[in-house]
Amino acid sequence: MKKVVTGVVGNDIHVVANRLIDISLQARGFEVFNLGVNTYLEEFIDAVVETNADILLISSLNGEAEGWCRDLQFLRSEYELKDVVFVIGGNLAVGEARNEDIVPKYQSYGFDLVFHQIDLNTGLDTLEKFVNQKRGE
Amino acid sequence: MSKLLIDVGSTYFKISSKNGVKQAFRDFSKNIYDDLTVKFGDEIKEYPKEDVYICSSANGGLSTLIVGLTNSFSLKYAKNIAFNSGINIIDTILYHNIESSPIPGELLDVVIIVGGIDSVGGVFEEKLLRYLQKLNYNNIVYVGSKLDAPFLKENIDNLVVLENIISDKLKVNENELKEYLTNLYQQDIVGKEDIKHLYELTSNQIYSTPYIVNRSLPFIDAKFEVVNPFIVIDIGGATTDIHYSRDLVRDNILTESEFDRLVFKKLGVYKSRESLIYAAKNNEFVYELLNYLDVTENILEESSEKALKVLMLLSIFLVLCKVSKHNPLYVTLKLDVLKSLVLTGGITKVLTNEEVLSIVHFFYKKIMNMSTIPTIVMDVNYDIWTLGMTK
Repeated sequence: MKKVVTGVVGNDIHVVANRLIDISLQARGFEVFNLGVNTYLEEFIDAVVETNADILLISSLNGEAEGWCRDLQFLRSEYELKDVVFVIGGNLAVGEARNEDIVPKYQSYGFDLVFHQIDLNTGLDTLEKFVNQKRGE
Repeated sequence: MSKLLIDVGSTYFKISSKNGVKQAFRDFSKNIYDDLTVKFGDEIKEYPKEDVYICSSANGGLSTLIVGLTNSFSLKYAKNIAFNSGINIIDTILYHNIESSPIPGELLDVVIIVGGIDSVGGVFEEKLLRYLQKLNYNNIVYVGSKLDAPFLKENIDNLVVLENIISDKLKVNENELKEYLTNLYQQDIVGKEDIKHLYELTSNQIYSTPYIVNRSLPFIDAKFEVVNPFIVIDIGGATTDIHYSRDLVRDNILTESEFDRLVFKKLGVYKSRESLIYAAKNNEFVYELLNYLDVTENILEESSEKALKVLMLLSIFLVLCKVSKHNPLYVTLKLDVLKSLVLTGGITKVLTNEEVLSIVHFFYKKIMNMSTIPTIVMDVNYDIWTLGMTK
């Protein structure tokens, strides 16, 4: 069973979305470690280390994730987490923003998959495909 | 009251009997047993051993070094459990930095190793063993992933393996480690020449004072005029303890404990007086504070009642500074939402409510930039301690 650490980053308290993600992941057979809302990036990384998780799925609804996730590359390399899949999804920008601008920006921070204003199930389908592909490599 | 409660502090004795609470300054030329029986012999004689309950902070507590996998879980949980069991933390080591971490020179009472949930294996390797070989310790306990326990047990002499303090849902699981550390503390008390004679007065276990205070905290807001979230500051002769509601900490990690404790080992008004003055002189606001109190820094060299009051006021200010955003080295408490500030210990016998109000006002104005302050509650009759002892 794949392990996923999830939660809402920074000063974001959108708890309903967080619960929906938790339930959806469990329904798809993942073992979920839900850190809830208001979680710092360091806490996410630490939870990945403690649980030896396969996936880190960060969500953000208030659009302020950018400011909270810039250190991902640094933290990722500190713990040598090269086999972990890093995913971020939700509403990833304050105000209007184009997907083609947002996705490369978050990828440059170290995220493998970026879902900006994408339906939850579509995002999770993509995640599962990505994980299966990675397993096959 | 059918029980006699005795607290042996580094500076004061206090007793609670059917006649109320009394306290006495310790005579350091006598051993604790002789001094206590001279001062309170009449009261002690009135109670059978099974009705006498003693707690002590006079043995200084145990020292510990914690090696953990991450700051947010392993180290955080172990630190909380250790503090709440009356243990003083010498240092914490992040496991992935262990090869470049300093080796504490002093003898450690206990080393705690923690990391990983139970389903994770291969967390700890040879580098941990190499580090431990350089340490000087009396006890060592492992409270991490179950899968790593056999490897560590095989390679570390006298290793005690207890239940993982990190549950499978990343929650804290404190029971076994807390019990182990509390028992270690008791054994230490029994072993200390000066304290062990106290068992001639009681047939009950002698507990550590911080443990007793911590035990009473869940009942404080029902029993006293205290509103949650609150902090309890216990300024003693050697150390200052701050017990706080977890509502005041900005983290979203699930724990079962509602209250935590932080110890400032070198902030006391008698035994740690010199280091308190040193800390005060290094605080950028201290001269403004002394001016506010209408005294000069020469007061710190005096040994008058006025000087003692100033030292106590400084302690309150410094402790609040250390847990505020102003000092990110320690736990940062959300002092802007604090509802009640409870003071306990010898300080309540020396300072008036007005004096405490005045210093808290100064702190909130200067550091927090706020004009409203929490309600001040002075535990003048040591009710918190009495509550903890009788629970």
